[in-house]
Amino acid sequence: MSAAAPARGRAARRRPVPLPVKGRYRRIKTLVGLGLIGLFFAVPWLRFDRGLDQPGQAVMFDVPGRRLLVFGLEFWPQDLPLVLGLMILGALGLFLATAISGRLWCGFTCPQTVWTDLFFAMDRLADRIAGKGRGGAKVIRQVFWTGLSLLTGIGFAAYFTDVTALPGALLSGRASAGTVFAILLLTATTWLLAGFARERVCLHMCPWPRFQAALLDADSLVVTYQAWRGEPRGKKRLALKPELAPDSSPAPGAATRGDCVDCERCFAVCPTGVDIREGLQMGCIGCGLCIDACDDVMAKLERPAGLIRFDSEANQASPALVRPKARVIRPKTIFFAAGCLVVVGLLGFGLSTIQRVTIDLTPQRNPPFVALSDGSIRNDYQIRLSHRLPALAAVAVSVEGLPGAKLRIGDRDDARFTVNQDRSADDRLMITVPRGTPVEGRREITVQFSDASTGRVLRRIDSYFWGPE
Amino acid sequence: MASPERDPVSGYRTTGHEWDGIKELTTPIPHWWVSVFLATIAVAVIYLYLMPSFAGTTGFLPGALKWTSKGQLAEDQAAAATAQGPWRSAIMAVPLEQVEADPDLRRFAVAGGKALFNQNCAPCHGVGAGGQQGQFPSLVDDDWLWGGKIDDIRQTITHGIRNDDSDSRSSVMPTFGDNLSKGEIEQVADYVVSLSDPAADATRAAMPGAAVFRANCAACHGPSGEGSREFGAPRLNDAIWLYGRGRDAVIRQVTQPRMGMMPSFAARFDEATIRMLATYVHSLGGGER
Repeated sequence: MSAAAPARGRAARRRPVPLPVKGRYRRIKTLVGLGLIGLFFAVPWLRFDRGLDQPGQAVMFDVPGRRLLVFGLEFWPQDLPLVLGLMILGALGLFLATAISGRLWCGFTCPQTVWTDLFFAMDRLADRIAGKGRGGAKVIRQVFWTGLSLLTGIGFAAYFTDVTALPGALLSGRASAGTVFAILLLTATTWLLAGFARERVCLHMCPWPRFQAALLDADSLVVTYQAWRGEPRGKKRLALKPELAPDSSPAPGAATRGDCVDCERCFAVCPTGVDIREGLQMGCIGCGLCIDACDDVMAKLERPAGLIRFDSEANQASPALVRPKARVIRPKTIFFAAGCLVVVGLLGFGLSTIQRVTIDLTPQRNPPFVALSDGSIRNDYQIRLSHRLPALAAVAVSVEGLPGAKLRIGDRDDARFTVNQDRSADDRLMITVPRGTPVEGRREITVQFSDASTGRVLRRIDSYFWGPE
Repeated sequence: MASPERDPVSGYRTTGHEWDGIKELTTPIPHWWVSVFLATIAVAVIYLYLMPSFAGTTGFLPGALKWTSKGQLAEDQAAAATAQGPWRSAIMAVPLEQVEADPDLRRFAVAGGKALFNQNCAPCHGVGAGGQQGQFPSLVDDDWLWGGKIDDIRQTITHGIRNDDSDSRSSVMPTFGDNLSKGEIEQVADYVVSLSDPAADATRAAMPGAAVFRANCAACHGPSGEGSREFGAPRLNDAIWLYGRGRDAVIRQVTQPRMGMMPSFAARFDEATIRMLATYVHSLGGGER
């Protein structure tokens, strides 16, 4: 940690907005950030035809229907283990990326980083419009903050309701209370986290920086100030130290300097306000903007770029102006990559074996059987069905292992039942065997359910039939 | 005791305490935290005032909002009744036979009827409506003493059987132990047992009990034992025997008849509730059209 942490006590002052910078990592960060923001707003607009009466939105959390729609897939609350797998995959992927190259997630893809970056840009734009430090800039900043937060809130709500109807519903005031609440909540949190708190979320709230050190090792590529090259820092007019400029011959006893001219550009552009020259630290999110800033300065000084660069701790032992190759394939990365593959395999297995039709067949045990007036014996069963197939209108039922059995469902004599609009069914199955059938005690049977229109077998359920003993 | 001052090294204030030149730094709790803490205390006080919080000598002292859990229950029940209102009026708006024809109405009636059945009928007829051999008839089979059409069931539930309700279903089986000889009862029992045995179809008319049956039983139970729902006289030529199967059971029943009774529910339920119950019972498998 930095020894000169500026935030202490109530006197801590707010850092100014970081200065803009141009360069390779800035370009990557901009492209990734815009791509992710675009994805966030665009995904709800993707359409997918699920047929009549079904939402046409490709990705949607249907809260009243308690389901998640992702194109042709439909997830129910009982599919939660898949989400667990997804989270494990996310964690392992994060570990893998961190082991290879530090906090790539934090620096480029974390929503907090992306939105903070956007808000920094908006603040700089507001300053440009109104003039830095003017009262007007503050007003314009607030307009930007609130506008962007509101947009984010609406973009979030679009995942829960049909996005094509959302703008109209909002403008006409017909939006549901839940939608309005979600929008206001996300507006408030975006304003608070991306507008007000910004890098303080990374520094004080986020747990991830606290244990990233456990995942880094000497071979991980992290933003590194090449101290061997930069120190001692000094003014530009001082001569370079002999290790860096073997040809020059400074006056004996004259002060020399390393490559760092102490311009503090690296500090000024840092979104979290760390001084990378103090070494790897918790505040560094690994975005590489200081690399861009320093390379810029080195170019002006006509010195090789890379005084600050993505580099490993191991490489510091053998300093070189051009970065030696880092060891990417090593036991730790192999372990995490293998873990990712295993979880991907398990997720694929889980997805392919997901039950799209759930049928419960519950024998009624009170009474265990019904004696009818013509001497036949009837058993009753409760059928409960729910499905997520594209179309299933009626289900046909048949029984095996019980010769002469007659099936009734509800008060209908044909052995089929219809599926409700909400894609469930709850009906009473009655199986009757004629007088004289040997059904003493318990008898194993198999009940088969199939799609009445296509004949496709949906499920075969083993059950039993009771007769008088 | 030194006065509080600012520590030059750390920038924090001191408490003003000093021991042998050692001073104590103070890091006060932030104002916002203290404010939140005080606010929670204020909320607690307000809560104590608004809600029932103190015990009195005869009960609790009601809070300013007059909230009680009983009142809450009554409110919830009223809300549930309001929510069910449209369904109940829809059930009353059509003839009873058509309640079953509408899938939505039927689902509501069967679900509500099941809950009502478990509260009011299950003690005798069983949770699964299977009845109890020798006591209470099964409602899931196809044998009905007083009729299995939905309107018959509604009538039975509303007014009951053999009770004080003036519209109650009523009939009495005579105590034949007083009128017939032991031998005649045994003969008629043999005859009654043979009614449900197809193997005896040819020989039955020649049995000595046939004449006794014709003279004493056929008026209610029918000439071939088909029963009469008008009098609640059970069918005798089927396989269902509420008070026991076989010769001995029949002799016992003829000599000293047992007859079931059922309370009237007219005073306890409104018509919509009875319709829901009737729909449920009718859906159990034996309902007739």
